[in-house]
Amino acid sequence: MLGEFEQLVLVAVLRVGEDAYGVPIQREIEERAGRRVTVGALYATLDRLEGKRLLESWFADPTPQRGGRSKRYFRLTTAGEEALAESKAAYDRIWRGVRLKGGSRA
Amino acid sequence: MREPPRLAERLVRWLVGGRDADAVAGDLRETFEARGGRPLWYWGQALSCAAVRVSGHRRVLPGLGQDFTHALRTIRRNPGYAVTAMLCLALALGVNTTFFALLDSLYFRQLPVHDAGRLLLVQRTANPFCFWREFQQVRDRLRTARAASTVMFSGEARMGARTYGVVAECVSGNFGDVLEPGISAGRWFASDSEMGAVLSYGFWKSKLNGDPGMIGREIMLERTALRVIGIGPPQFRGAFPPFASDLWIPTDALRSRGPAGPPVGVIARLAPGVSRQTFEAEVRVVDAELRADPRSARANDPAVVQPISGLLWRRGRRVLQPVVTLMSLLCAAVLLIACVNVANLLLSRAAVREREIAIRSALGASRWRLFRARLAESLLLAGGAAVLGVLAGETAGRALQAAMPSIPEQGFRGLAFGVDGRTVLFLIAASVLAAVLFTAASGSGRHARRGIYSAVQVCLSLTLLVGTGLLLRAMQHVEKTDPGFARERRLAVHLYGPPAALGMALDRARSMAGIEDATLARSLLGPDSGGCASVSAAGPARRTAMNTVEPNYFAMMRTPVVRGSGFTDAPGVLVNETMARAWWPGDDPIGKPLWTGCEAAGRSMAPVVGVVRDTTWALDPAPQPAYYLPRREAAGDQPFSLIVRTAGEPYEWSRPLVAALATVSPDLRVYEAESIADALRLAFWETRWRAALLGSIGVLAILLAAIGLYGVVTCSVAQRTREIGVRMAVGAQAGDVQWMFLGEALRVTAVGVAAGLALSAATVRLLRGFLYGLSPFDPVAFVGASLAWIAIAMLASWWPARRATRVDPLTALKWE
Repeated sequence: MLGEFEQLVLVAVLRVGEDAYGVPIQREIEERAGRRVTVGALYATLDRLEGKRLLESWFADPTPQRGGRSKRYFRLTTAGEEALAESKAAYDRIWRGVRLKGGSRA
Repeated sequence: MREPPRLAERLVRWLVGGRDADAVAGDLRETFEARGGRPLWYWGQALSCAAVRVSGHRRVLPGLGQDFTHALRTIRRNPGYAVTAMLCLALALGVNTTFFALLDSLYFRQLPVHDAGRLLLVQRTANPFCFWREFQQVRDRLRTARAASTVMFSGEARMGARTYGVVAECVSGNFGDVLEPGISAGRWFASDSEMGAVLSYGFWKSKLNGDPGMIGREIMLERTALRVIGIGPPQFRGAFPPFASDLWIPTDALRSRGPAGPPVGVIARLAPGVSRQTFEAEVRVVDAELRADPRSARANDPAVVQPISGLLWRRGRRVLQPVVTLMSLLCAAVLLIACVNVANLLLSRAAVREREIAIRSALGASRWRLFRARLAESLLLAGGAAVLGVLAGETAGRALQAAMPSIPEQGFRGLAFGVDGRTVLFLIAASVLAAVLFTAASGSGRHARRGIYSAVQVCLSLTLLVGTGLLLRAMQHVEKTDPGFARERRLAVHLYGPPAALGMALDRARSMAGIEDATLARSLLGPDSGGCASVSAAGPARRTAMNTVEPNYFAMMRTPVVRGSGFTDAPGVLVNETMARAWWPGDDPIGKPLWTGCEAAGRSMAPVVGVVRDTTWALDPAPQPAYYLPRREAAGDQPFSLIVRTAGEPYEWSRPLVAALATVSPDLRVYEAESIADALRLAFWETRWRAALLGSIGVLAILLAAIGLYGVVTCSVAQRTREIGVRMAVGAQAGDVQWMFLGEALRVTAVGVAAGLALSAATVRLLRGFLYGLSPFDPVAFVGASLAWIAIAMLASWWPARRATRVDPLTALKWE
């Protein structure tokens, strides 16, 4: 099963879609999960996920923005989508029928 | 808009590395700008990149494959330069590999037996640890280890009708149990008294053709009949590498060694759970008893426990130590010269590739990336060279091994020069080091730098040449030195037998026509080490040189008795001048008593009756204290040299003399004959061997340096073709143009020679021990080497310079 942060990263990449490079992925996680993400932790996880072949990445040609530095774009592989679906299913199974006092969601 | 902190950005680049560094730095910059530019935030993010650095999933060097593909393409496009570079490197790596293999077998290799790390050697610095009978008692007392004994013996073994000269190890009965070397067939000894023999695998395979029916056969060793009980394992060649044993026999098979038996070496295997310190403590207790008698030579020579690795033979280690130090430096120098050479080649290529590099860096390649591209190319070159180097090293190793038997210490043939795993590891490390070295050295290509490199090469190789010259001069010097005994018309035959048979041989030789006189001496070339003497009955015996000779020895060898008399029928001992001076300073030794013998039990006293002129044994520059005993003191079977003075060329008598001696007595063994002059020459093998080693490496270095110089001039000619054309067009003569390049080469050589002479002067002291009294600043060697180098340099640059004069001015001007 995927780790929590790995899930966050994969979902973020999926959500951002076409424009999935470092900055939007980071922003997505920070906004949705409401937690700070350092660029180091993010890239370490991205590398790990790519190593597991759940992600693939490529470099875009450098543009005049941001000092002419190229962007590295990410996309889920089929294996990545399957792993994410499986993780979600597992979480759903775990939470099915559980009610938490004071919890906002069922 | 504020810029991100530069240092932090560098940190990010360094931590992330590769192309990703760009993307991460870009992301950070974007966020930094969006958030209003807080440097502290940036620093925090930068530090977090350490997580990327340590992440296991990181692609270590992105684009590595690309680098190598590019390098391979570059090499394929210019095979000429690649082959030259590889050959240069392969030569140097081959030499280094061979030397490392030698070093490994001399110092580090463990015995090829089960759990060799638990084996320890017990020995003394100058004396044997104990004698065989003592060992048998010591062995039973040891609780912390099991001990076996072994002693080398060389003699003759007869099997059926054939006789073999063999090196045997006389061992205790538990040798196989303690060392656990394993066995190919049969078994090891069951007890000390079992009269069996275990053949070494090598001896069985090479001399007995691997005859499967050997076990149970009888073998005659020194008049003792032994039955073959086993054949050793292939990898185990004896307990004392580099000596290779032909067979193992029980110690009791050696006769006529006195009541205490032969001196033995002791190897112990630690009992389970026992530490070396515990064993050493036990050895100290045993040793204290062995050294209890203060008159014994070992009284002041405590036992030492040491692990078994490499060469255990102390004298061998001592003899080889300076050679090994020297060789390490030489090999490093050769590798350095080769690296400089390749760097030079790369520099000349860099001049051609400046365009490519300019384009790549314009397209955004970082300096690190460009360096990596060059490193990849270097690694490929070094890799190819390493493969060639292994082949060269293996061949050179075999050649060295084949050359070894010419050394009198025949056991040397066991030295392993083979290439094993450790050697390959060394080779890989050396190649990578070389690659990094010459990549770094071939940075931005400038002509001046190439000149400096050439000068460095000249400097290093000149130093080697001076060293070689010094050794050659030392050889000349030694061969001219008077050894203190006669050399001309003296022929020696080596004999082994009881005193009566030796006497008969002496009479037989004297009766032969053309032989003017004959004598017997224990040691052929003057006194040899192995004696012990003391000036008082209770004092400890001190080690000195000694010889046992016939009374007429001094007259016949022209080593005059300068005081007192020679041997008479009365008991007496003679000493040399050095001993007389050192042992009885300011006093007359004649009539003084001298106790001789190394062990307290075997000591005998005789008055000094005469003083003999000093001889220099073999190559010792300073004569050692030595005493002479008359031959009648020698009991039991003994090796002696029969020396005869012939009427003419000594070798004319060698065949008839050996034939005549062979019929004297069945107890007498007669070996080959050699002239004293030849024996002396053979004793110089160390010097000759060293000179040959240094010389061959020196030649290699000169060759590499000459190639380097040639390359520099060639490149210079190519780069200045246009200039030559202009000069020729305005009327320069061929000689002028040629001199332009020769002058440049000469300047480089002059700088190199000057630096080389300085380096030589600083380093020749390393050779001092090898020069036998020759001054390390021998002008002949220095001047000769410099002149030789200048000649070589002129030759190496004359060739390409001549090509410059063939430039057609018109073509040159149209060029580009």
